[in-house]
Amino acid sequence: MTQGAGPAGRCPPGGALPLVPTHRPTDLPKGRTVTLTAPAGTAAPPTPPPDEAARPSAARRVWATVSPYAYIAPFFTLFAAFGLFPLVYTAFVSLYRVELQTPGDMEWRGLGNYTALFADEFFWTSLRNTFTIGVLSTVPQLVMALGLAHLLNYKLRGRTFFRTAMLLPYATSVAAATLVFAQLFGHDFGLVNYVLGLVGIGPVDWQTGTVASQVAVSTIVVWRWTGYNALIYLAGMQSIPSELYEAAEMDGASRWRQFLHVTLPGLRPTIVFTVVVSTIGATQLFGEPLLYEGSVSGGISHQYQTLGLYMYEQGWGFFHLGRAAAIAWVMFLLIVVLVGANALFARRRSRKEAGR
Amino acid sequence: MTTRAGRTLHGGKVAYAILILAVLVSAFPFYWTIVAASRSNADLAQVPPSLLPGPNLIRNIEAVMEEADIGTALVNSLIVSGSITVGTVLCCTLAGFAFAKLRFRGRGALLAVTVGTMMIPPQLGVIPLFMVIAELSWVNQLQSVILPGLVSAFGVFFMRQFLVQALPDELIEAARVDGASTARIFWSIVVPIARPGMAVLGLLTFMAAWNDFFWPIVALSSQNPTVQVALRQLGGGYVHDQSVIMAGTLLGTLPVLLVFGLLGRQIVGGIMQGAVKG
Amino acid sequence: MPIARAARRAAVRLGAVALTGALLAACGSGASDGSSDAAGGKVTITVDLFGSFGYKEAGLYAEYERLHPGITIKQTDTEDEQDYWKSLQTRLAGGGGLADVQGIEVGRIASVTQQQADKFEDLGKYGAKDLKDQFAEAKWSAATTKDGRVLGLGTDVGPEAMCYRTDLFEQAGLPTDREELARKWATWDGYLELGKQYKAKAPAKSAWLDSVGSLYTIMIGQEEERYYDASGKLVYEENPAVKAAWDAATTAARAGLSAKLDQWSPQWNQAFAAGSFATIPCPAWMLGYIKGQAGEAGKGKWDIAKLPGGAGNWGGSYLAVPRAAKHKKEAYELIKWLTAPEQQAKLFEKQGNFPSSTGAIAKVADAKDPYFSDAPIGRIFGDAAKEAPVQILGVHDKNVADQITNALSEVERKGTAPDKAWANAKKGVDNVMG
Repeated sequence: MTQGAGPAGRCPPGGALPLVPTHRPTDLPKGRTVTLTAPAGTAAPPTPPPDEAARPSAARRVWATVSPYAYIAPFFTLFAAFGLFPLVYTAFVSLYRVELQTPGDMEWRGLGNYTALFADEFFWTSLRNTFTIGVLSTVPQLVMALGLAHLLNYKLRGRTFFRTAMLLPYATSVAAATLVFAQLFGHDFGLVNYVLGLVGIGPVDWQTGTVASQVAVSTIVVWRWTGYNALIYLAGMQSIPSELYEAAEMDGASRWRQFLHVTLPGLRPTIVFTVVVSTIGATQLFGEPLLYEGSVSGGISHQYQTLGLYMYEQGWGFFHLGRAAAIAWVMFLLIVVLVGANALFARRRSRKEAGR
Repeated sequence: MTTRAGRTLHGGKVAYAILILAVLVSAFPFYWTIVAASRSNADLAQVPPSLLPGPNLIRNIEAVMEEADIGTALVNSLIVSGSITVGTVLCCTLAGFAFAKLRFRGRGALLAVTVGTMMIPPQLGVIPLFMVIAELSWVNQLQSVILPGLVSAFGVFFMRQFLVQALPDELIEAARVDGASTARIFWSIVVPIARPGMAVLGLLTFMAAWNDFFWPIVALSSQNPTVQVALRQLGGGYVHDQSVIMAGTLLGTLPVLLVFGLLGRQIVGGIMQGAVKG
Repeated sequence: MPIARAARRAAVRLGAVALTGALLAACGSGASDGSSDAAGGKVTITVDLFGSFGYKEAGLYAEYERLHPGITIKQTDTEDEQDYWKSLQTRLAGGGGLADVQGIEVGRIASVTQQQADKFEDLGKYGAKDLKDQFAEAKWSAATTKDGRVLGLGTDVGPEAMCYRTDLFEQAGLPTDREELARKWATWDGYLELGKQYKAKAPAKSAWLDSVGSLYTIMIGQEEERYYDASGKLVYEENPAVKAAWDAATTAARAGLSAKLDQWSPQWNQAFAAGSFATIPCPAWMLGYIKGQAGEAGKGKWDIAKLPGGAGNWGGSYLAVPRAAKHKKEAYELIKWLTAPEQQAKLFEKQGNFPSSTGAIAKVADAKDPYFSDAPIGRIFGDAAKEAPVQILGVHDKNVADQITNALSEVERKGTAPDKAWANAKKGVDNVMG
């Protein structure tokens, strides 16, 4: 869909993937095609009976056009049942008043669930929280990841160790990480307040303070994802041809200028990718705020209740399935808009630069 | 930190210092989990808190076994994550191969749809999905978590990207000239070549399935929990011995850490590969 | 509405078919849950509970299995009642995964009798009506529908008292004798007044009570009419009793008498061992928590006195048999036995859950608890149980209470003005009602 926007040949076939970085090594191993040896395996090319191959029957030709669908059928069948059907059905449910306790009784409300949302103070609070927590978690996470990736890109002793260790948080579950952090952020007996107390900062109320609690929840997200993003940036950096740096060096560009003018532009597709993924993740944020204090309301004043959590409270705390469905759809639309805006923005930028 | 530019730059002391700090920050919560899990509730209420492991690990693990049925949870999680991993890798390799190398009508559009589904929040499907599994009387049964877990748009996309590069068209052409059917090509050529990609996808899927949380807490209950459901139960409980909770967290995290410890290198490689290609 | 209902059915069926198709077409997997009954006359009764009913700990299951060869009892337990209720509702709606016996908290029993009567067995079918005289009248009637179906048998009740730390009282120069204290805090004003005295001389980092939420809840437990009136109308806004409890709680919050701990939070749990508060309103079942959280080190430091402002009740539960249960008859026999006077008395002695059976109350009248300085718990809680008012229960009792205690936490921990907090509580309740 965005084909032609960027430099020719950088979009993968299929065309619809402007959001993902598409660095491809320009020096694809061409030799491979000649030798006909599979790199990973030992599979000898099959040798079917020659007579059958000589005259492909009509049935086989039909099969050849149909068979590709057989390969995607399992995925799309599953997708239809667990992806598409829920999507459509949620839209249907969102037009009714449905209670979990009596799911058989559906009362038509039209767009009532949606209009009620716009008058619903808690909805706006959770929308605002989703946004602020999203910013508080995404921005530091990506900036720090960029810095770490830059360092990891140096020639280092024990680089595998550093990379693996930094990915460790990614392997932890939301549930486990949040339980640990909830402990660390405890008001009276938490380690964080103890350390802050050593340097003379009075106990911070990481639970009830609006900013403090949002910082605490964001910290969990940042901790889990910074290393992962650093590795993705690192991969992006490594695919930037070193000739570019050499050329910049010859022009007398400083390290910082090299970072600004070579690394960052080269990383742009990767950055767009991580921003999009993080935005989606932030919009759907749910486990961290739920488990932080174990309350569906996201704190006593809803101070860190996100949209995902509010949906859960409506659906499984108060049993209002119809309203919960409406919130779910609003979330989906929000993501579509955010991702669309992102893509548009990225496309504009690259157009502008292509035209320069 | 002078000389050479670009990718051959050597790391200086500052770089090491920052990286070591980052590693410590990454690892500290794990260490803290061990400390907390091996102490008692009263220890944890002390100021200043102690930073060394204590003697209560076994007692706390026994308590968590009693209170949250972590044993069942571990077995369930293993079944769920294992099935999801095998199923996902298989489905995604099939579809990824078709999208990468087969020609058929609607290929571009279908691929776009697939990628688009990555935007659907998991919360969206929960309500109807729940109604469906209720209709099938699957509430509280493992297949209600396994089947929806098999849908992985990311996986399809990942395998497609992998195969576009790793599988030369010529290889397929040659096999076709020799008269091999597509199915034959798939099993004898595609799968062996796709194996490294499948392994990475399998690892990522396993970790994601193990850690998945939103749908399982709706579909399952403490009667038949996965590890994450059991952890959530511990975190929201009345009897709230922090050291016991931490022992549960430790038990629930260990298997993934084990996988990570053994195959961390491959996972790192996989993520970086996936990032560049996909 | 029938059309919508049919449409929904059709759509769900469609989804189910698509799903089954997916199962067959794709990588199907036949995982089944592990709990199936052994054949040959053996029956496994499943029991699903929340919190701590204490049957297993008191050895009652083992005893029942001994008395009834061929019967095995399997219990699962969710600590948090909110989680338990959510999961139970989900399974009732889905009609799957239900146990033979399900526990029901008293705050939910109205929802069961008014909204979900058709999802539970009428125990009258099995002869439960003969048991009526065993139970306190209020306990029995709350689980009976308007048309006379009996949906659950009462287990424990939650007569209220006040637990306090004698060592901390001594340090602050307050009397420690339970009779004297009962006189001094005969009213809630007296209790708050003592609190101010305590605060003036208290040891560092020690507050008068754990949270104003527990103060509010215990006070509301002394009232007959709370959130709903007898006709089922929501009246919490106009109810002077709610207002009085709210005012007392906000007064305590503003006077800085509480340790600002949310009940059931990790911090709250840790505070028992740390001695962060000197008093905690305690229904009978709270004794078990105190023992568990304060541990051996707390033995002999605690005592129990009569509650300020009269008798009240907080909590208590029922056992019910869902329609979808596999072994209804056996389940009924089991809960009949578990709730019989002998077993209730035994449970109180071992676990502290106070009996709802009148016969059992008489049996335990002389019980004392060494952990609580030999306080006469049988008498204190027995008197409270006799004098406590019969409460009018509403469908959303628990949800309304949660919103109000949340708002109280705002006053307590954030210094929110009480009027603003009350407005927040009201908005929260409106949101619950949808």
